[in-house]
Amino acid sequence: MLSLSGFLLVCLWGGWVAVDTTSLGQIMISRPLVAATVAGALLGDPAAGAAIGLVLEAFNLMVLPVGASRYPEAGPASVVAGAGYALFATPGALLTCVVFSLAYERVGGETVRALRQFNTHIALTPDSRSDPANVQRQHLVALSLDWLRGTALVALGLAGLVWLLPWVAAHWMLPDNVVRVAVAAGVAGALAATLQLFRGGYRVLLFAAGVGAGLLLGVFR
Amino acid sequence: MDERRATRAIVWRSFAVQGSWNYETLIGTGFAFVLIPALRMAFAGDDARIRAALHRQSTLFNCHPYFAGLAAAAIARLEAEGTDPELILRFKAALRGSLGAIGDQLFWSAWRPASALTGVMLLLLGAPWWLAIGVFLIVYNSLHLYVRVWGTKAGLRNGLAVAKRLREAPFSVLGKRAGDAGALLAGLCFALAVTAVPGGKGDAALAAAAATAGFWLGPRVRRGLLAAFAILWIIGVSLGLAGP
Repeated sequence: MLSLSGFLLVCLWGGWVAVDTTSLGQIMISRPLVAATVAGALLGDPAAGAAIGLVLEAFNLMVLPVGASRYPEAGPASVVAGAGYALFATPGALLTCVVFSLAYERVGGETVRALRQFNTHIALTPDSRSDPANVQRQHLVALSLDWLRGTALVALGLAGLVWLLPWVAAHWMLPDNVVRVAVAAGVAGALAATLQLFRGGYRVLLFAAGVGAGLLLGVFR
Repeated sequence: MDERRATRAIVWRSFAVQGSWNYETLIGTGFAFVLIPALRMAFAGDDARIRAALHRQSTLFNCHPYFAGLAAAAIARLEAEGTDPELILRFKAALRGSLGAIGDQLFWSAWRPASALTGVMLLLLGAPWWLAIGVFLIVYNSLHLYVRVWGTKAGLRNGLAVAKRLREAPFSVLGKRAGDAGALLAGLCFALAVTAVPGGKGDAALAAAAATAGFWLGPRVRRGLLAAFAILWIIGVSLGLAGP
């Protein structure tokens, strides 16, 4: 069960993860690998968080925050999924958390866009932005709003997932093995796609060398 | 201007340079936020000069966040030296494009995926979770933090000549090597993921099909896989709802 303290802890972590994405730090605690694993650890099951984090990281390697383009926000959605999977190791939970998170990333991305539009509305006028106090105040207000946005996003997402997972468990009929095979194949597909990120003819050879080394390691694992 | 104090102030504030990102000035307000302590040091007690400089520097600006300190430091130096404001604004506009391109190429396209793949590889090899995310964060942030501090120092020391320092820095080579490492690690992680697929030949064939789709579709594979997962989820729940 999700305790109130656990819920609050995950929401606070989600707020920090959200600001790390763009507003503050960008030390990459907002990457799914970290965000989901720590969320799982906060609820007592880091391995579950790491399993979700690995899948979501593979899906997000190709997403580049370049320019003012619209992109999904992986951090808070990963926190929700990592926490959800740590709480419910029930039938269907793995696929539910992954699908929920990938969809919720889009919602997160839209809230980022809405906040940026709000920041545009409250932007300082040319006259008022020569005052250091005004600049600092506006900057800190925008930062705080982003933190609140992230915290609320995680709170809502986690509440939704915590409601959804027991319902899915009660109705789930697919064998666990089918889901595991599908998710592992999906991760393999997403990792294969990253080759397009590292463009360059000879890099295909490096990728192939990596595949060879990975197969050897996989056999002896 | 005390270089050490200015460096410290700019580096700390540069972590929040994108805090008030908006569609009018992009990171312009954040850039002014980063500059404030350095301007106060440069124009101690002269409020009018601080206001005039801030008015000029809080307009539209954008660059890679890790290189914002470099731009802020160089501009703080030029403002402190009383350089012609027109020249400062032209210099700032020139920095905008090049700092964005260098940062995106080095960090978003090469260093970050390569570092993340290191963490993914460790997890796939069965390393403890804290080791995987610890290695990822340390590897990634070693270069990230170095660039923030190096850039700020280079900007303060070189002013207009910082463009030459940027050209001399080995960021292009570093990006290429990180891309090489990334390609190798992507192959390795891919193979580890395929060998982790449980089951028999049919399952391995499914993984091979997914990999082919990945090679072929590139970034678009994300949408396809999400659709496939969503369909599988609907089937899983529908079977239960339709069952006895």
